[in-house]
Amino acid sequence: MFLALLANLGIGPAPVEVSLDATLVQSLVRRDVNAFEQLYDRHSRHVYALVLRILQQAATAEEVVQDVFLQLWRNAAAYDAERGPFVPWLLTLARNRALDHLRLKSERQRRREDQTDELPPVAAAPEYERELDERRRVERIRVLMGGLLPRQKRAIELAYFEGLSHSEIAAKLSEPLGTVKSWIRNGILRLKEGLQTVS
Amino acid sequence: MANGDQFRELIEAYALGALDPQERGSVEAHLAAGCADCAKAVDEARWLVSQLAFLAPDAKPSDMLRGRLLQTVRAEAHAAESAKPAAVIPFWMWGALAALLLFTIYTSWETIQVRKTIDATNEQAKQEIAKRHELAEELTIAQRAAIILTDPRSVKIPMPAGSKDMPKLDAMWHAEMGIVVTGQNVPMPAGNRTLQLWLIPKTPGAKPMPSMMVRPDADGKFMLLVANPPDNMESTKALAITEEPAGGSQAPTTRPIWVGATS
Repeated sequence: MFLALLANLGIGPAPVEVSLDATLVQSLVRRDVNAFEQLYDRHSRHVYALVLRILQQAATAEEVVQDVFLQLWRNAAAYDAERGPFVPWLLTLARNRALDHLRLKSERQRRREDQTDELPPVAAAPEYERELDERRRVERIRVLMGGLLPRQKRAIELAYFEGLSHSEIAAKLSEPLGTVKSWIRNGILRLKEGLQTVS
Repeated sequence: MANGDQFRELIEAYALGALDPQERGSVEAHLAAGCADCAKAVDEARWLVSQLAFLAPDAKPSDMLRGRLLQTVRAEAHAAESAKPAAVIPFWMWGALAALLLFTIYTSWETIQVRKTIDATNEQAKQEIAKRHELAEELTIAQRAAIILTDPRSVKIPMPAGSKDMPKLDAMWHAEMGIVVTGQNVPMPAGNRTLQLWLIPKTPGAKPMPSMMVRPDADGKFMLLVANPPDNMESTKALAITEEPAGGSQAPTTRPIWVGATS
C-alpha cells in the first residue's frame, strides 16, 4: 500500500511489488481459498491453452492444469514477487509440467513418482514489459511471430511446444543444425526487438 | 571466468531449453561461475520465451476442472485448519508463566524475609519491654531511695571504714521505706566478688543477718536499698559490709570493711 502510494506520487518504484497477482499469491501462503479462486479465474485460460497446445488432448491437458494449480496452491511460497512478475513464472511452470508429461508418455514410462516437482526460476521482466497491457502484448507477439519464415516459426514452436533440442529439430525439419540455431536465436531476438520498438 | 561473448549466442536457446546436453552444461557452468551479464541476459530471455505461450490458440478449461480444483483446495485448507493444535500455548504465554513463577519465588522469598524481620522486631520489642521494666524498677528504687534519703524521719547511720584507705559510707534508715546505703570512690572488689550488707542484732550471741549485695560502678559509686528491714531499728545493733564471693554468703567470711552503729 505504501509503495503504491509512493509510486502514484512519482517518488517510488513502479507498483510491481503490489500487483494483484503478487498479493493473491501471498494470500495463498496463508491458505486463502478465495485468493486461489481469483488466481485460477484470472489465468487458467492461458495455462490451459498452453498445456493443450503441448499435449493436444483435452483430458490430459486438464489433468496437467490441475497439477499445476495444485502445485501453486501447495508451494505458493516458492514464488518470489520481488524477482519478477507472476504470469511468466506460472506459464513456465505449466510448460515444464506439460513437457514432462509429454516426454514420459513418449517414453512409455509414465510414472508419476518420476516427474520432477522442481519449480522454475522467476524471470525478471524487462523494462519494455510495462509498455503494453497483456492483451495488446499478446496481439503484438502473434503478429511478430507470424512475420517469421514459416519454417523458422515452426522451429521455434517445436522447441517451445514440443521441447525439442536443436539437433532434434534439425533432424525433424531436415535442415542443417546451424540453420536451426540461427532461426531460433534470430526469431527470439526479433521478438525482443519488436516488443522494444513499441516503446 | 570464460569470456561471456562465446555464450551470448546460446542464451536464447538455453532459455528455450533447445540446447543439446553438452552446450547446456557449458552455459550452466559459465553461469555458475558468476557471469552477471549472462545471468541478466538469461533472465530476459526466459521472460521472452515465456511470452511464446501466447502463440497457443485460445482455449477454455471445463467448469468441471474448476469445481474439482476448488473442492480439493477447500478440503486441504480445512484439513490444515483442523490440524492446527487447539491448545497450543502461545510464546507470550510461556513468558507470562515464567514471569508468574519468578514472581511467586520472589514473593515467597520476600515473605520469609518479612517474617524474619517481624521475628527480629518482636525479639527487639521483648528486649525493650524487659529493659523498660528494669528501668521502671530502677526508677521505683530510685524514688524510694530518694524518699529515704530526704525524709526527716530517716535516721542517718555513718559507716566509717576500718582502713584509712577506704572511703566513709553513709546509711539512712527509714522505719517504713527501708535502708539506703550509698558510697563513693569505693574500690571494685577483686574478680567477681561482691560487697554484702549485714544487720548485726543486739541480742547477745545472735548471728549477723545477711542482707543485700552490691558492686560499685566504674566510678566507684553504689547505692544499696533494703526494702524490708526489721520493723524495729532498736533490735539492730549495727550495720556492717563485708566482701563476699559472688552470690553472697549466709555468714560473713571476711572481716567487715565498713561498720556503722545504729545508736
